[in-house]
Amino acid sequence: MVSVVSVDHFRMDFSGKTVIKDLSFDVHKGEVFGFLGSNGSGKTTTIRALLGIYTPTSGDLLVGGKPFSVSSGLKLGYLPEERGLYKKEKVLDIMIYFGQLKGLTRDEAKTRSEAFLARVKLSDKVNTRLDKLSGGQQQKVQLGITVINDPELLILDEPTKGFDPVNRRLLMDIIEEHQRAGATIIFVTHQMEEVERLCNRIVLLKDGTAHAYGTIAEVKKKFGGKSLDDIFLEVYGDENEQAEEASHV
Amino acid sequence: MYNLGTVFRFEVKRTLKKKSFWIMAAAFPVIIGLVFTIVFFSNQATDKAAANTKNQKFSFEITDESGVVDKKIVQQFGASETNDRQTAIHDVISGKLDAYFYYPKDLAHDKVQIYAKDAGLFDNGRYQAVAQVILQQSVAPNVDPQTTAVLQNTVGFDSTTYKDGVEFNGFKQLIAPGVFLILFYILIAMFGNQMLTSTTEEKENRVIEMILTAIKARTLIIGKILSLLVLALIQVVVILTPIVIAYIFLHNTLSLPNISLNDIPFDPVRIIIAALMFIFSFLLFTGLLVAIGAAVPTAKEASGFFGVVMICLFGPLYAVTLFISAPESDLVRFLSFFPLTAPIPLMLRNAVGNISIGDATLGIIILIVSAVIALMVAVRMFQFGALEYSRRIGLGAIFQKRSNK
Repeated sequence: MVSVVSVDHFRMDFSGKTVIKDLSFDVHKGEVFGFLGSNGSGKTTTIRALLGIYTPTSGDLLVGGKPFSVSSGLKLGYLPEERGLYKKEKVLDIMIYFGQLKGLTRDEAKTRSEAFLARVKLSDKVNTRLDKLSGGQQQKVQLGITVINDPELLILDEPTKGFDPVNRRLLMDIIEEHQRAGATIIFVTHQMEEVERLCNRIVLLKDGTAHAYGTIAEVKKKFGGKSLDDIFLEVYGDENEQAEEASHV
Repeated sequence: MYNLGTVFRFEVKRTLKKKSFWIMAAAFPVIIGLVFTIVFFSNQATDKAAANTKNQKFSFEITDESGVVDKKIVQQFGASETNDRQTAIHDVISGKLDAYFYYPKDLAHDKVQIYAKDAGLFDNGRYQAVAQVILQQSVAPNVDPQTTAVLQNTVGFDSTTYKDGVEFNGFKQLIAPGVFLILFYILIAMFGNQMLTSTTEEKENRVIEMILTAIKARTLIIGKILSLLVLALIQVVVILTPIVIAYIFLHNTLSLPNISLNDIPFDPVRIIIAALMFIFSFLLFTGLLVAIGAAVPTAKEASGFFGVVMICLFGPLYAVTLFISAPESDLVRFLSFFPLTAPIPLMLRNAVGNISIGDATLGIIILIVSAVIALMVAVRMFQFGALEYSRRIGLGAIFQKRSNK
């Protein structure tokens, strides 16, 4: 198996506080990899360190065998958890801009943007300013930008957050299409049914380490055949209780 | 610098599409035009009112102890002489008489006393005007016109000065290199705030992660700075064009001085020095403002720092006479070589020609080094401060993060 992403003994401290203690995992070429964990467990921190936005305290985080660089030539699609775009600009202008930043010509970016907008039923919004769109429509535009360059590696940090069921289905279809086209996908989510539907392998992040790691079947077997929902509750339930107790104090 | 052109075009195009850009550009010549119009009509009205005042008739008496006043002239004004000063003053107070002038014995030391009925703030000036005209007309026949011109300070002077054996006009020499100083002032004054907020937009709109995984922070920052420079120049052209057109067609009407490009001397060395000072001053302050913008979470908070930077930059203007009269003083040298205050003193001293080539070179080197440092800090601030959506980031944190790498 060829690893597209390799995280080896990754540690991340912020102001003396350890967020990731010792994390290692690989993501294989062409698979959908589920990156699971409770809120604040360090999923987004790991993704940011993987993409060079954060500098790791120690450890190696490699994409295609080397630390990520925007000039590496890898076609990346990244939908961050913190979402937003230039709100005062028109939808098509923003999509073309990001398409060009990702290496497309202006004409290619325009053609692909218009095709995507037609697919998500936003063709009539090409010349609308982003801040005039609804939250869901803005999410679609951002998703379009993420996949405009047909990425080889697609990283989606809680992509369904804020989507209604119809748009969630649309998003899942788009992810599956890219998987079929050979893209490697890292999928950060709390939605276990999405994990069941899409992911080949998963890692459960807890206390800054990989609490469970493997195929879905392997992880389920480790937890006595429980469903992913039950596993999630078992692994992270005590954290929620502690959080609730802390909030009462 | 892959994608630099894309960033540059995007930033320029989207700013040119903003109404505020054109409103700001148009507002400047419109305000200048309004001020000139007000001054023009105000001067016209004042001249007219002054002429009317001179022609206004009023009753008055005089007492002349100086012996200078010609009685015939007093009669021509329809006035009479009196020796009873107190009665005359009383008549003015009671309203029987409009005015009374008392010319003292020693006009060189004592003041002419004027007692008059109030005619309003502006029209009250007519009393002194008449009292003065009486004196001038009384002495005029005894003095030749040339002496009168000398005493009235109306003699014109035409100076020609020489430097190194060549005719040298200090004021005209100032114009060409001084243009860079004015340009710098306009650019910072009008575009400073946009520089400050150019990166807070990415932060406030949460675009930063999408951007940083598509292009390098350095490319984005340099693209933004280049776009700001071009936009600022476009705005200067937009501002100056109507002013130049107005000057060409209205300079006679507005009594503005005639300026011919042929009369303006071009000293290539001073102009090159001025251009270098301008470019690196601009880069220094752009880098500084961009760094501040990247370090704070919102545009609102960034604007709080803007004032501090502007005080450093434009504060030296308060010592402008010192730069001209005592260029070698310690204060002037400090202000010329301290990076945050250097641009104005350096460009001003170069314009007036009192900075040596050595000092100018040292100043430019300081500006270059400072600009490079400011731009590097700006890039680091953007890279590491950009994800701090809710808190300000300090230099310590930036260098700490750097040492982790």
